[in-house]
Amino acid sequence: MNPEIVSIHREEYLREDGMLFVRTDGILETMVKAPLIMVGLIVAVIVMPIQTSFGSTRTLELTIYSDGSTHISHQIDIDPLNPDFETTLFGPSIDNFVVVGETGFLLSSEISGNVVSIDTFGSSSITIDYDTHDLVSKEGRVWTFSFNSPSDYTLLMPENSVIVGMNALPNNMELIDEQTRLELSSGPAEINYILGVSTIPPNNTTTETPFDYMPVAIIAGPIIAAITGITLILKKRQSKPLPQTIQNEAIVDKKENKTIDTETIFNLRPEMRDDDKEIIKFISENGGQVFESDLRKKFLQPRTTMWRAVKRLERLGVVEIIKKDLQNMVKLKEELEEEE
Amino acid sequence: MKKISIFGLLILIATVTIIGMINPVAAQDDPAILLKIAQNAQEQIRNNITDDSSDKIKELFKDGSSQVDALKEALQNNNSESAKSHFLSAMRIFKEISQILTQDEPASAEMAPARVTIDDPTSDLLKLYRYTHNLKTISEAHHTQIDFTKLYDLFGVAREQIASKQFDDAQQTIRQINQIIDDIEKQLRDKAAQQESERAKKYAQNYLEQLDRLIESAKSQGVSDDIIKRLEDARERLSSASSPEDIIKEVRKIISIKDQFELTKNDRLESRIMQVEKTLQRLSQMEKADPQMIQDAKETLLKIKRLVQASEFEQANDLLRNLADQLNTITKSLS
Repeated sequence: MNPEIVSIHREEYLREDGMLFVRTDGILETMVKAPLIMVGLIVAVIVMPIQTSFGSTRTLELTIYSDGSTHISHQIDIDPLNPDFETTLFGPSIDNFVVVGETGFLLSSEISGNVVSIDTFGSSSITIDYDTHDLVSKEGRVWTFSFNSPSDYTLLMPENSVIVGMNALPNNMELIDEQTRLELSSGPAEINYILGVSTIPPNNTTTETPFDYMPVAIIAGPIIAAITGITLILKKRQSKPLPQTIQNEAIVDKKENKTIDTETIFNLRPEMRDDDKEIIKFISENGGQVFESDLRKKFLQPRTTMWRAVKRLERLGVVEIIKKDLQNMVKLKEELEEEE
Repeated sequence: MKKISIFGLLILIATVTIIGMINPVAAQDDPAILLKIAQNAQEQIRNNITDDSSDKIKELFKDGSSQVDALKEALQNNNSESAKSHFLSAMRIFKEISQILTQDEPASAEMAPARVTIDDPTSDLLKLYRYTHNLKTISEAHHTQIDFTKLYDLFGVAREQIASKQFDDAQQTIRQINQIIDDIEKQLRDKAAQQESERAKKYAQNYLEQLDRLIESAKSQGVSDDIIKRLEDARERLSSASSPEDIIKEVRKIISIKDQFELTKNDRLESRIMQVEKTLQRLSQMEKADPQMIQDAKETLLKIKRLVQASEFEQANDLLRNLADQLNTITKSLS
């Protein structure tokens, strides 16, 4: 096919000494082809983004349910010139499978094992949604999520779950209501977690799911509007000069909060854990009192873990827990008793 | 000249290598999250260790805690590589402890959470709800008149039953929900099948146009008469195909001919144009998109199509890159 290329190799192999050296003239001959190779590489570099744009994942989102099944939502860019598209699903046991094109139209598909063939007919992107039971296993109380992802993805952990093992490095993490959302890179990952004992009634859990919010919005909308209106009116009134006695009370209260000295607390309670000290510092910085929910948000802790921390601090006599607006207000104690 | 060539080659190889390396690299946006995860795990394990726990567990926990401390220190020193290493070590140890603790637990304690999970159908309900939401979206896209009211009412009933721990009743309601979903699925699939036939025909029409351009291009490139004849025959068969199955079959045959005779080099360009056109269409429907920018992009697209028709593929490719940049700018302006 290409005699020039063959001749270079032949010259190398026919060396009299038989040693594996490259002849200088061979290099020079190769250099003649360098521009050709260079052009080839330029084409490769230029075409690379186009090549990777078809059949590639646009988004991949996984949600683990508390029964160990996983919902997968996979958006893929595909070649609009092809009439169909074949891809591998993440497991053979599939439920609630549905695939739509970019216009939201349901696409015909056929699943065989864990391979799905989809009639795309010109779609340039598709979204596949399904539940699978193959990504999570359980041993005793420890659940294990194992996944070898072809692309970066997000993973929403079950509510009240605590990660106790992990062999991959997350790119990011955030707490959405009571659920941890991880951003992970492509490649194999194994995450071990334990489901905590839920202290929340089941009806609370459903409020964090994508249920229909419309009726709630219709009822809550006017109420929120009313509360906002009342708050504005009250604020306006508060901006007017207060009677001297009320002003004094407020000043005293503020002053008391400001006088809380974390160093004194730490000196009086030397056994206090470092992470608890962080909580105390945070409360102190926020005027001596914060909602427990704010602590959870700040320290990205599950409800049960933060509750234990707060109770620990209460036992140490450092904070008191006050119910306010159906929430737990954690307040630094104004005076600390010396430990015996 | 040769030195320049070597230099150029080295740069290109480096570029290709770097491009290949970019994807697998996972850079933590905020390394502090590693500490949060490790501390949460540490806390969870600490709460499960009692005075009766074995020495091995206590020893492991000590090791794990040292790793967490080292992780904290590494983060304070901005040593992310060391932090990652300590994180992975800590999590490996905590996992080992969890597994040992699980093995040590009495059978009754082990069964308790599993039993709750089996009885409580919350997960099933959530999955069905999500699926129903998908079906409703599809139903709206297909303009069907399917009524989802009863289904959503049943979801409300099941939620209340779960909240009041009437799990058997909730299971019964879920069975009812499943029956309704089956009916809705059937209606949607029937409707989708009708519309698929239309979409398949439209797709075939577009494909025929593209095939015409390919045949013209093949003729001008001096491709043999035999290959052109095969393409023209395939064209005829595709134009007479009516069912989605036949259309797929014929297009596959054409793709096979193209592959066989290396006539696919322009296909990617055509595919890319179609994809970009759809993106442009989507962006143009967005209110926030700058009309002038959209108009400019549309004009560029028109130029590209003309160049493709004139078999000026190199120029079309260059312009396509410009268009991709234009679309990126528009997308960024929307966020």
